[in-house]
Amino acid sequence: MLARVANNLFWMGRYIERLEHVARYLNVNYFASLDAPNELSQSRQFVLQSMLFMADDFSRTEEPLDEEKVLYDIALNPDKDFSIINYVKLARENANSARDLISTELYESINKFYHFVLNYPVENFKKRGLYDFTVQVTENVSILRGKIRGTLLHDEVYAIIMLGVNIERATQIIRIINSKFKDAVIAQGSYGDTLKNSYEWTTLLKCAESYDMMRRFYRQTPTSISTLEFLILNTDCPRSVMNSLNEVCKHIMVLTREKHPSKDSSAFLIGKVRAKYQFKVIEEIEQDLEAFIQNILDDLNSIGLKLQNEYFHY
Amino acid sequence: MKSNNDNPTFESYNRDPKLYDEIFDENDNVRQTYKTLFELYSEHSAQDFGRLNNKAKSSFFNQGITFQVYGDHEIKEKIFPFDLFPRIIDPEEWEVIEKGVLQRSKALNAFLWDLYHDKNIIKEGIVPLDLISSSENYLDQMNGFDPPGGIYNHISGTDLIKHSDGKYYVLEDNIRCPSGVSYVICNRTALKRALFGVFNHYQAHTVTDYAENLLEILETVKPKGVDVPNCVVITPGIYNSAYYEHSYLAKAMGVELVEGRDLFVENDFVYMKTINGPEKVDVIYRRIDDQFIDPLEFKPDSALGVPGLMASYKKGNVCLVNAPGTGVADDKAIYTYMPEIIKYYLDEEPILNNVPTYHCSRPDELKYVLENVHNLVIKPVDEAGGYGISIGNRLSKDEIEEVKKTIQASPRKYIAQPIMSLSVHPTYIEENECFEPRHVDLRTFTLLGAGKDFVLKGGLTRVALQKGNLIVNSSQGGGSKDTWVLKNNQ
Amino acid sequence: MNLDYNIRYTAKNTYENKASSALWQFLIIPENNESQELLQDDFTNSLNIPVERSINGYDFPTYRIRPKQTFEEIEFTADFKLIKKVENIFEKVSQEFSEKEYEELNSLKFKAENDVFLRYTDLTTLHQEVDFKFDKSISLFQNLQELNSWIKKEFIFKTNVTDIDTDLSHILEIKQGVCQDFTHLFIAIAKQFGIPSRYVSGYLHQGNGYFGDSQMHAWVECCLPNSGWIGFDPTNNLIAAENHIKVAHGKDYSDCPPLKGVVFSSGKNETEYTVQVSSQQQQ
Repeated sequence: MLARVANNLFWMGRYIERLEHVARYLNVNYFASLDAPNELSQSRQFVLQSMLFMADDFSRTEEPLDEEKVLYDIALNPDKDFSIINYVKLARENANSARDLISTELYESINKFYHFVLNYPVENFKKRGLYDFTVQVTENVSILRGKIRGTLLHDEVYAIIMLGVNIERATQIIRIINSKFKDAVIAQGSYGDTLKNSYEWTTLLKCAESYDMMRRFYRQTPTSISTLEFLILNTDCPRSVMNSLNEVCKHIMVLTREKHPSKDSSAFLIGKVRAKYQFKVIEEIEQDLEAFIQNILDDLNSIGLKLQNEYFHY
Repeated sequence: MKSNNDNPTFESYNRDPKLYDEIFDENDNVRQTYKTLFELYSEHSAQDFGRLNNKAKSSFFNQGITFQVYGDHEIKEKIFPFDLFPRIIDPEEWEVIEKGVLQRSKALNAFLWDLYHDKNIIKEGIVPLDLISSSENYLDQMNGFDPPGGIYNHISGTDLIKHSDGKYYVLEDNIRCPSGVSYVICNRTALKRALFGVFNHYQAHTVTDYAENLLEILETVKPKGVDVPNCVVITPGIYNSAYYEHSYLAKAMGVELVEGRDLFVENDFVYMKTINGPEKVDVIYRRIDDQFIDPLEFKPDSALGVPGLMASYKKGNVCLVNAPGTGVADDKAIYTYMPEIIKYYLDEEPILNNVPTYHCSRPDELKYVLENVHNLVIKPVDEAGGYGISIGNRLSKDEIEEVKKTIQASPRKYIAQPIMSLSVHPTYIEENECFEPRHVDLRTFTLLGAGKDFVLKGGLTRVALQKGNLIVNSSQGGGSKDTWVLKNNQ
Repeated sequence: MNLDYNIRYTAKNTYENKASSALWQFLIIPENNESQELLQDDFTNSLNIPVERSINGYDFPTYRIRPKQTFEEIEFTADFKLIKKVENIFEKVSQEFSEKEYEELNSLKFKAENDVFLRYTDLTTLHQEVDFKFDKSISLFQNLQELNSWIKKEFIFKTNVTDIDTDLSHILEIKQGVCQDFTHLFIAIAKQFGIPSRYVSGYLHQGNGYFGDSQMHAWVECCLPNSGWIGFDPTNNLIAAENHIKVAHGKDYSDCPPLKGVVFSSGKNETEYTVQVSSQQQQ
């Protein structure tokens, strides 16, 4: 497979995964805030700040935000690098240049999705389309996931897309944790609740589409520690960081031609990063969550760079 | 029209007696070949066709079978309109076409060999020297070079029309990078999806065998010493108007679709950059024009090509398909010498007719052209895609004067032909929700390899969707039809 | 009698900003032909990048270099040793007027065979009348000699007034230029008369005080029906002979620049190069 095309497939996977998390984050936060138990969590400014923080690379502004503008920027503003519409365009462009390698079915779904987003009526979205738009986006992504799994040969092409998807998933879950953790810190005490029992943990789990799974697993109201443990370390939760790392590990083995990866290879680095988190305990992470977040984002980043140099160099 | 009364979607079909109608004869009876189809179609209402038409359109759109149109301000993504009424060619008619286009491709190949070697046809005064020496498409770099297998035009697209006399005429030969074959296959798929029932009544040849034959042809021109050649398709990239076709062909042949930046040359061998390191490439089906294939040799600022490619080719380490420099022979001025060219190299009579042509470079013919602009089609010699064509009887007085001036400024650049009346074919017209006659042509696809040749049994029937329009190119708003070559007579 | 030549070609490319990748092709290797034999060639560069040998589009041998590291500056050095035959060109050519020569010049066969070098290019197209006229009562060779001396007489050798893209109208206007310009002018006039003419790039031995700019030199080769290809050096009003070491030919300069490159870098870049030619009579 061409190095350039592999790079495109990798990023196609990443963009598809990324836009879905952004869409879900918008949806969950916005609607959760409407009947949140405390005033601050209900505050429009609070939720808009949180959305922008998550979507636009952790930036925060002191300026009051305009709801329509924020929603438009994150969802449908083609001039914003971080908008969903931009990610869809990039995903399709990447799919285009690998069109001879991916299935007709997958391409058709991406293309349909692209036209759906491109033609979504902007005014309608700003006034009342948020729910419809974000739900359709997440459903379209589910279709894409199905097409990726079901219509591609599980060979190198598939492995590269899945590498992209899983690295991005781990990254986005961490980013969502980061955002919601910040929200929880800001919101704490406003309704007599503690950080540990913040309402934001429930929102966080919903943002990761993991609330039901978590309830089934713990059978108790989410706390900071159980939420983080579940989203970071639980290997059975398909959205967890650890699960993503395991997937990354599995897929890199399809690409590497070495049985025992040499020490400067991507496979070696991925194995090392996985091992590092495999034996972490949540208490350790919770002590300094911010440092942990920075650390794991750096690790994921270095995996991306390593892959770039080893496989996508053209 | 009496025979049309029982078919509501044909109610407003007005046959023009001056034109050849592909499905109605001069007595307004449905021709034998189309009888069954016509009856089957009469079972559908106008609404049915409207629905099928929309379905086909959205299917093309969703599959991304689109091309880009370069407007003044923006690039638009458009589908190539697909028509629901197929063109049917019966076996006898096809036999002539198939033999005829193959004959032309072979003659052109021999002609190219001669032009880049001894130039005998010129020395003998059959084709004028200045047609060649004034051609920008003659590549000195090819002079004296023997392309692998002796093949220049591996892929030829021959455009045919049916005139009011009911005979086929060749309109032009395309032997640079002829496109359109992917639409032949898409059209078949689309028609099968929309109206699969009709296929039970007709035995049409398949068109999906094109890619496998193309791959075989590519393999016949592999460099010496290569066992199983590594073939690739090179594309200018995803923004090229024919990108869908490039990706389709690569996919259907199971070979890599590369861009210039994926390839590099080392010690005169060509490699592609894969995830497992460099991999040697042996045969390149290139969909990039000559001037862009190698910045060291041609346009130095071209980022589409591969620096050093031409030297690798000339050293015999890689084969380019089609060979560089074929453009000198599909020039519209050369076209007019095709009957002589066929006779000269093959010692055969041309099987297909050529449209009579006037060369503005010849003083007496120029005079005739200037006096008869209103009855002629004026074409620039070296423009592709239907640009720059003037149709005499559509021009105002002022426009005619304008055209005359343009011709006189550079006579060598123009040829003129009688206004050929392209045959018409029933075509579904969305606005009117019915079938109306529209002009069509036919592009055939011929492959030449070392010891193997192939003509696709089918082709691209292009249709001018605007009433009365004669220009069928997709860039000028044309559509296309599925084209059936029948195995047996109806 | 023969001459031994040593030729050194050096070039230095500098880039304002670091260049990430590049491909250079050098068309500087003396041709092996009837009058010259290349004995030895050596090509090195300051970055020690391996040298590939290839050809250009007209089958002349070239060196190619593809650096894999980034760079801001690179120097190239080529050394050639060769033997040049000393011969009297005047003995080879037909100087006598013959009608047959003109007939043959105008024959379709001759024109078709030399078609490439009768073709006009942007650099060899005249847009105006020139004062030089062919005299059909003398031989073609004599005419070309006249043309050679006319150019030498009418034009002044001067560097930095023209560049590689300067067209003939400008040169005719300022009456100045360098060897490339005079070569293009010669070609244009000779072609207009129907004599196949090509641009030759090579080295000039300047021991005798000729104009050559201590860089690559340029002159013309014309194909005469009775004599074949003969070299004319309008810069020095000479017949190209033992002082002219040919590298390559083409329709005009753009077919045979000594250095072609594809470089991925932003900002300005500069190339400087020099040529040294020394000879020794063979014992």
